[in-house]
Amino acid sequence: MSNDETRDLPDACPVSRREFMRITLSGSLVAGMTPGLSGAAIQTVAGDAYPVVDVAPLDAIKEAAPVAFTYPDKNSPAVLLRLRQPAPGGVGPNGTLVAYSGLCTHKGCPVAWRPERNLLICPCHWSSFDPAKAGQMVIGQGSEALPQIALRVSGSMVQAVGVTGLIYGRETNIL
Amino acid sequence: MSRVPLPPRGAQRFNTVCQFCIVGCGYHVYKWPAQQEGGAAPDANALGLDFRAVQPALGTWISPHQHSVVTDRDGSRHNVVIIPDRACRVNEGMASVRGGGLAQTLYAPDRPTRARLSTPLLDEGAGPVKASWADAVDLGARVIKAVIDRWGPHAVGMKFFDHGGGGGGFENNWAVGRFFFSGVGTRTASIHNRPAYNSEVHAAGDAGVAALTNSYLDAELADTIVIVGANPYETQTNYFLAHMVPNLQGGTVPTKRSTFPGETVEAARMIIVDPRRTMTVATAEAAAGADRVLHLQIEPGSDIALLNAIARIALERRWYDPAFIQERVEWQTFEAYQRSTLNVDMALDEFVAEAAQITGVRAEKLFQAAEWIASPKAGGERRRTLLHYEKGLIWGLKNYENVAAIVDLGLLTGNVGKPGTGVSRLGGHQEGYVRPAYPGGRPALNVDEAVRRGEVKCFWVGGCNPVLTTLRAEAFEGALRDRGAPVRAALGATAGRPVGERVTAIVEALKNGGMFVIVQDIYRTATAAHAHLILPAAQWGEMNLTSINGERRLRLYEKFMDPPGEAVPDWSIIARFAKRIRQLYQDDNNPLLANRFLDYDWRSDEDVFIHARYQFKGDSTDPMEGYAGVTYDLLRKLGNNGIQTPVRLVRGVPVGTVRMHEDGKFGTASGKARFIAAPRPWPGYAAKVARQRKNHRFWINNGRSNQIWQTSYHHQFIPFYQGRFPIPYLEMHADDAKELGIASSDLVELSNDMGTVRAMAYVSDAVKRGQTFMLFGQPRGAIGDLVSDHVDPATTIPYYKGVWANIRRIGPLPDIAKAVSFAPMNVAS
Repeated sequence: MSNDETRDLPDACPVSRREFMRITLSGSLVAGMTPGLSGAAIQTVAGDAYPVVDVAPLDAIKEAAPVAFTYPDKNSPAVLLRLRQPAPGGVGPNGTLVAYSGLCTHKGCPVAWRPERNLLICPCHWSSFDPAKAGQMVIGQGSEALPQIALRVSGSMVQAVGVTGLIYGRETNIL
Repeated sequence: MSRVPLPPRGAQRFNTVCQFCIVGCGYHVYKWPAQQEGGAAPDANALGLDFRAVQPALGTWISPHQHSVVTDRDGSRHNVVIIPDRACRVNEGMASVRGGGLAQTLYAPDRPTRARLSTPLLDEGAGPVKASWADAVDLGARVIKAVIDRWGPHAVGMKFFDHGGGGGGFENNWAVGRFFFSGVGTRTASIHNRPAYNSEVHAAGDAGVAALTNSYLDAELADTIVIVGANPYETQTNYFLAHMVPNLQGGTVPTKRSTFPGETVEAARMIIVDPRRTMTVATAEAAAGADRVLHLQIEPGSDIALLNAIARIALERRWYDPAFIQERVEWQTFEAYQRSTLNVDMALDEFVAEAAQITGVRAEKLFQAAEWIASPKAGGERRRTLLHYEKGLIWGLKNYENVAAIVDLGLLTGNVGKPGTGVSRLGGHQEGYVRPAYPGGRPALNVDEAVRRGEVKCFWVGGCNPVLTTLRAEAFEGALRDRGAPVRAALGATAGRPVGERVTAIVEALKNGGMFVIVQDIYRTATAAHAHLILPAAQWGEMNLTSINGERRLRLYEKFMDPPGEAVPDWSIIARFAKRIRQLYQDDNNPLLANRFLDYDWRSDEDVFIHARYQFKGDSTDPMEGYAGVTYDLLRKLGNNGIQTPVRLVRGVPVGTVRMHEDGKFGTASGKARFIAAPRPWPGYAAKVARQRKNHRFWINNGRSNQIWQTSYHHQFIPFYQGRFPIPYLEMHADDAKELGIASSDLVELSNDMGTVRAMAYVSDAVKRGQTFMLFGQPRGAIGDLVSDHVDPATTIPYYKGVWANIRRIGPLPDIAKAVSFAPMNVAS
């Protein structure tokens, strides 16, 4: 059946790339993570609804130690990770630093970082998300990827500057 | 999307049930004009929630995928939000990954679902072109009549949905069955996923046990839940998460205590029979603790040996239920079962050792399973065990004996018709079967073979896609193509000519081995590529429909939007053909045949529902789907909790049935259940299968997954799902992959004596060495191409899971490697 057009592989990979979306976070804290610098040095970029928030100094982010912070407000737990490989949206050394909302897109439970698996896993209904693949849900019951926090490096500081996707529990990320 | 619009106060609200899996979760649909929006304050939105603050975990939220904008036929645009119903007892406010994306399945001219069929199409050789309904029906009806007149009714073949949920329901099923069985009178019929018109559980039927016996509540009450050949975390999600998991966690102990006063109660144990270590195994262990979950990782096709060994142990240990057997079972069938199936002449240890060898499961695990299923509880009470099975068993080695083995185990241990028990399918799609009796015999005619042999002159495929899902699919598709060619030539040669002339040319083509193909669907499927006539059907949400779920819960799925273009409900398509054929026979002065197509003047979905209801009497003669006395009005009042079938009429009042066989009556002439004896404890592989197994290195287990529903007919158009598995995945053991130079995300080719198919490798510890698992029925890789044409001769059910093939690496897929996760799909922590 290889002549059947509907079965041939497309020229380009049909995988969708999520549009960069601007959103906010909410909910409870991600368990067992190093406290970050949330609340410190919040600035606002002119004309942009998202705050710029210092998350952690570059040299303080270790592979095995996720940094918990909140973004874009104090009710939105988030986590900054240093991955072993470069990742989409990654910043810093080799683009290995990524950050995500800490709330599962299924029912809003706090996801937990499992470094031995490189996954963020929700303990409520076991949805898992891959931080190296833009938060794609690996398996589980959410109907969204895990919202990714846009980062940038300013001097020696990693800053959160935006969100891709809608954070659980909100109709808009900036309340 | 950075935000979702909130439904304003005054937004229309509809009840519906998810269109996808058997569980049938309740949902609410909100619809309101596109230019309007509710406010964040609780008195400014239809949900009554305060969106100025963050909704709490386990609360109500509208995710971006739960919203879309649709256009009705009058051109008006509307926001639609579809969110799970917290008051529905099935899902308790939870969506699965499939139901969470319902809004994305809706037709919209500005989204990929624009691919929906919206007008009838006629293919005259140069590709499908638009046709009017009048012309399409006239041509199709004349061809069907000509085939009946010249070759008889059995030359009209069909393969149609028989299920509930999307693309089915009582309404559409009744119309289809009435047309083909009472009208055409053909026995050349087959059900969407298989080559014949047959029950998938004939053995259960012969035993007098219903296909769906229990209530979901029973999973909260059971002491032990047994899952054979199913993966409910992924494919019966909210039954597992909302009902089984709380029991595994001990959360239902208070309910048990109040339901069974004085009885020993504790958290449930779970036994999972599956060759793979699935997400169900991982999550059950996370919920219950690994010591309370028994995963029996059997070798392919060895279910019968496993179940019979467990039964034999229960018998020898005196853990069976003699009182139940004496009162509820035809006694003489018990003896045959013991002597033949359980081979009681063989010593127990020898019997179990043989089963251990066949199944690859150690003998002590077989003893442990028997203990968990049947041994008395601490207080001496009978253990309440809920036995569930699905496609791993149904589409396994030998359908009839597979199903018999688990039903027999249920009867032996008295686990049916009591709270916390059951012997039941888990189910795939929903149900909603009501049709006149199938005119064929049993075992049913193999329609795929009738198509290949040229006995079918007109073949009508509705709401299914056999080119992707049937067995020996390459040969089947070849037959559609080759037999369709002369008809296409006849259509091309007579383009623009009067219809009578065209039909004459088509009949000439049929005489020369041709076959006229009609496909009725919502999309242009791979099967539709071979159709001469394509008919556009309405989908879920575009008509009112009724269905039952896995606990026989009957509900009304309300219409909330128009179908695209000229698409109409399946029942309406069938009615148009029936009326036209009736007219043609009247013109022929043939009242006998004309009257077989009488009474299709339905004006509404409910007209068909009520018409079909005459099949049911409201007494104990009704099948499990019986809905005597039920109206749309009643269902509207009952909302998303509905009523459980069969519905009995008690002094004229419809009364539902929580649990089948609770009255001690079974579906046999005697009213007692029957053990179904098998000739031996394990039948072994059929010759054709054994040959394929011998000549190929890998077992290609196959089935559904969490994120993808059936053939991806919707999900291929929704980036969230399509992006997860742009190509069907093939789980492989790391050592096998390494030997073949294969890494996750590589494109691989599977080939055997039936054909070849491609997949993307997904290295996983879910499968043992020499074994793999592939997503079934996908547009970019259909496992059916590798399935042999062997069927269980007793039932005409294929051994879809019994595929062996060789595997080779084609090359890398760099875009997929970059975008798709290949992290483990079977971990819970």
